[in-house]
Amino acid sequence: MDKYTLYVPNFLPCKEYFVPEKNQACPGCGLALAVRQTYKSLGTAIEKASWVSPEDGLPADAGSGLFGAGRTAVSFLSVPKSAGKLLICFDNEAGGSLSDALEKPMIQLAVSQGFSYVATACPSYPFDLYDKMNQAMKISADAYVHVLCPCPPGWRFDADFTVKLGRFAVESRAFPLYEVGAGAYSLSVKTGKPRPVSDYLRSQQRFEKLTEQDIAGAQASVDGAYRNLEARVQHYLDAVV
Amino acid sequence: MESTAGFQKKMISCSLLDQDKGLRFRPGDAREWTPEWDRDKCIRCGLCFVYCPDGAVFRNQEGFFEADTDKCKGCGICHRECWFGAISMFKEEE
Repeated sequence: MDKYTLYVPNFLPCKEYFVPEKNQACPGCGLALAVRQTYKSLGTAIEKASWVSPEDGLPADAGSGLFGAGRTAVSFLSVPKSAGKLLICFDNEAGGSLSDALEKPMIQLAVSQGFSYVATACPSYPFDLYDKMNQAMKISADAYVHVLCPCPPGWRFDADFTVKLGRFAVESRAFPLYEVGAGAYSLSVKTGKPRPVSDYLRSQQRFEKLTEQDIAGAQASVDGAYRNLEARVQHYLDAVV
Repeated sequence: MESTAGFQKKMISCSLLDQDKGLRFRPGDAREWTPEWDRDKCIRCGLCFVYCPDGAVFRNQEGFFEADTDKCKGCGICHRECWFGAISMFKEEE
């Protein structure tokens, strides 16, 4: 076994900032996993960070819009930087409806609200999340990161599938990982041959009552959203050349 | 954690950081399953360490990984994510 020298934690800081000795997180909590990885990448900057409610976490005119309407139960972590702030949204889709799982209006809203760096991340891809958090801290302006956290009791799946469900979400293009910096879109994880959305939806028992028509509609909307995203990426590439 | 206790006040979606309510038990107390590492299959890559939600997996002095039984909740993510099937879950005897 000595021929294997790959040691994964070498790519991440070993120090643990999030070690709550006593907490009430469920077994396999995706939110706890995302928070732990986020704290690791932020390092000492988390000492100044604060959990905020959607109303006071966002620019004033956004609070009364989609964020405040209770469409999804999300938690916001606000991290002050030397210039601007980093706002991280931990989204566990507690609204529970199909539109919560497929549409993420907050990301587009953040882009239009003038955040200069916007990214989506998922704890199933820890190094991607780590890089995005570091990039967001490096930029000297407001940044926003949207983290998808699978929630075993909320989505109703077995606790050991947390990481796999996040991977399903990305592979099926329901939650594409991308970043927006200065109006430029770029995909972080390219899904050449996507997984059917039914894999992602059927593995959650909260969607067990969906009919085949609903699944087909979800597939169509995911495909449409992904084509839009690809068109945005391509638009930027064309502009560069 | 003294440095993080100050800002763990508002958590909207679930009671992850609600430490006042959780003072009565340790996270590992309600565990049903416990992970066990097969040292013949383990290549010590550390993926179990990266994916543990509770930071329960640590590296011992021989370079192998173990679960801290006070923190481990037995979710089984490490068992599911191990490339080599080196982690098995067993039920603890009373």
